Amino acid sequence: MALTTAQTGLSRARRGVAPGGSGKPAKPANRKSKLSSQTRKTFFWLLLPSVVLLVLIHGYPLAYAGVQATHNGSLIDTGEFVGLENFANVLASDAFWKAARFTLLFTIVGVFGSWLMGLGLALLLRTKIPAGGVFKVLLLLPWVVPIVVSSTAWNWLLGTPDSLIPSMFRNLGLGTPLFLADPTLAAITVMVFKVWISFPFMMMMTSAALASVDTTVYEAASMDGASRWQQFSQITLPLIARSTYISWILMTIFCVNDFPTIYLLTGGGPVDATTSLVVLAYRTVFQDFQTGPGVAIAFLMTITLVVVSVILYRQIRKSSVE
Amino acid sequence: MTIKSSVTSTAFSRRGFLGFAAAAASAPLLAACGGGSASQSGGSGVIKFWDMPWATPAYNDAAKKIAEGYAPASGNLKASYQTIQWNNFYQTFSSAIASKTGPAVSTGGGFQAFQFEQQGQIAYADKVVEELKKNGQFDDFLPGVLEPFKSDKGYVAVPWQLDMRVFWYRKSLFEKAGVDVPTDWASLLEAGKKLKTIGAFGFATGSGAGNNIGNHSMIMMMVNNGGGVFTPSGELDVMNDRNVEAIEFLLEMVSNGIIDPAAVSYTTDNLNAQWKDSKAAFGPYVLGVPARVGDTSGDIVVASPIAGPHGDKAGLVFPNNIMMYTNTPSQASSEAFLVAYMGQLKQLWQQKLMNALPVFKSITELPEFSSDPNNVKIVKEWQPIAKTFAAQGNSLNANLAVLDGGQALNQFTQTVLTGKTDAKSALQAFQSGLQSVLKK
Repeated sequence: MALTTAQTGLSRARRGVAPGGSGKPAKPANRKSKLSSQTRKTFFWLLLPSVVLLVLIHGYPLAYAGVQATHNGSLIDTGEFVGLENFANVLASDAFWKAARFTLLFTIVGVFGSWLMGLGLALLLRTKIPAGGVFKVLLLLPWVVPIVVSSTAWNWLLGTPDSLIPSMFRNLGLGTPLFLADPTLAAITVMVFKVWISFPFMMMMTSAALASVDTTVYEAASMDGASRWQQFSQITLPLIARSTYISWILMTIFCVNDFPTIYLLTGGGPVDATTSLVVLAYRTVFQDFQTGPGVAIAFLMTITLVVVSVILYRQIRKSSVE
Repeated sequence: MTIKSSVTSTAFSRRGFLGFAAAAASAPLLAACGGGSASQSGGSGVIKFWDMPWATPAYNDAAKKIAEGYAPASGNLKASYQTIQWNNFYQTFSSAIASKTGPAVSTGGGFQAFQFEQQGQIAYADKVVEELKKNGQFDDFLPGVLEPFKSDKGYVAVPWQLDMRVFWYRKSLFEKAGVDVPTDWASLLEAGKKLKTIGAFGFATGSGAGNNIGNHSMIMMMVNNGGGVFTPSGELDVMNDRNVEAIEFLLEMVSNGIIDPAAVSYTTDNLNAQWKDSKAAFGPYVLGVPARVGDTSGDIVVASPIAGPHGDKAGLVFPNNIMMYTNTPSQASSEAFLVAYMGQLKQLWQQKLMNALPVFKSITELPEFSSDPNNVKIVKEWQPIAKTFAAQGNSLNANLAVLDGGQALNQFTQTVLTGKTDAKSALQAFQSGLQSVLKK
């Protein structure tokens, strides 16, 4: 019975229903305003330059990429039309699927690793800790520092058997791990590096979402007998769900498109162990000079990202409705 | 300085969000296909000369002074100078050339001229060579440096500096290990084993992010054994016996710990640190290692070429070159500028700005260059036997750009350096990788 009361209370609290409230949402005000024909025309002409500019900036390269992906030429000369041959060749290559698997793993670890770390720190920073402001600034550093600097620092820490961290392992009798030379360790290192540079973003997103949660909701839940875990899992997480999904979508895009993190730390090696799709696309176009197949890889990435974004967007809408 | 020409709502909307997501998701597409940021220099009335950061910024300052100080003979155009960064340089050149905003004359990647020649963008330098014959510079070329640039249609470019790969060693480590400097592969193996006992590596290399010394080490050992990736007529020939033997030898050094097991991930900074920290005892590297790693005590010196098991000796050279483009306001002016610029190259070595060999004998005799015994040794012992990436052939071509920076060689190198392969399997994979990307 107590549990039922707590769950009912949590449910009401989560929906922001005050004790005694009906729980029915107020009717939204009609936001449509009737614009005169003249005003609409003015809006149209004011918007037109921006729209044209956006179409030129995004539309032209996209269209040109479509041309390149279906031709067998170079960056200067598009060459002959080959239809979907480049796509077929790319999809039939082992290198593509190996890179796709790494990209998937890198993205999953990057998104959820940084989210968990960001969420944990955001919750911690919400509590009153001494010098909380200083910690917030310090915790932002991995995100703020240019990746070229971070990757150099990580290389200094890990790059050779005599670097700081391998030396520590050796001194602890744990051998001398070759963090960047062993294919498995290199893949793990790159993912940890990605989590490290990304968690501040997640922390900021989560902090902003947590700040919007009314603390009286917790007070109400507490009065109804909800435990800390119940408050976290049934109030905090649902109330920040929309922000969480948005941050997941953004981080997914950041991870899939992430070129410098990988390229600066490992160059995609050793033996392609850390080659993601974007690194493969770059190398195919600019190192192998295979423009068509390289752009085809980029196209496939884009399509996948749009599909993933739509799926996650539906989750956002679902969470909004709930 | 003047040069005289020698010739004439807050609502979270579905549409808004999807628009943003699509724009963000298309970033790789834009990155992969988008045109580069080719910047324009000068107007149509000048010869645009694009140059790369071949050394410290002082080099580019000096080169700019030479280019912009060029005073053309009547009727010819002056020159402007612009530095192009190595980062995405091929994209920069390609997009500029495609949009007709590229240079009239440029330095660039070692095989860039051949890539653009394939696309009809290169103006042949035969008239420049004729002028060099007239002014005596042709006879001043070091042996064999001009021939690789001659194609069926003419000279694709003119060499101006030689980027050498030679063996260096640290004297004190050999003394400490009580072993002589290697003279052949057998002694290299033995020296490597003894050096290992003092914690040093007998074949220092690296194949990490942005480091191509590992790739060059592979090809260098092949040509050192009389092999190479191509036949003399330019056909792909990866699986020849000499190459197999060379890779077996490298794998033997890997398995004996003579090559650092972490070398596969070494950047140039890591490799420099290995040399500076007395971990690297012997290995292939570029010119000017002492200055590069910050040890000019005289302990790091150039070794003599070593003999392969069949007695072959060879080093590796990348003849960097200056090319002319068909998109020029005046071909005669491009040629006049190039001839004049070649005549002023010595200034760059006189000011000790270059980390490469000059192509002219007269510059190698300058006191500013010959005062370094390492330079003298490279000119005397290495340059005459140096081979290009085209080995076993001689003529350069566009395919070499794919070999030099491509994924096939890099993957092959890293596979060998990890040691988890055999020579024939590694070479087979290398050959397959090259076949899939080389132009027939």
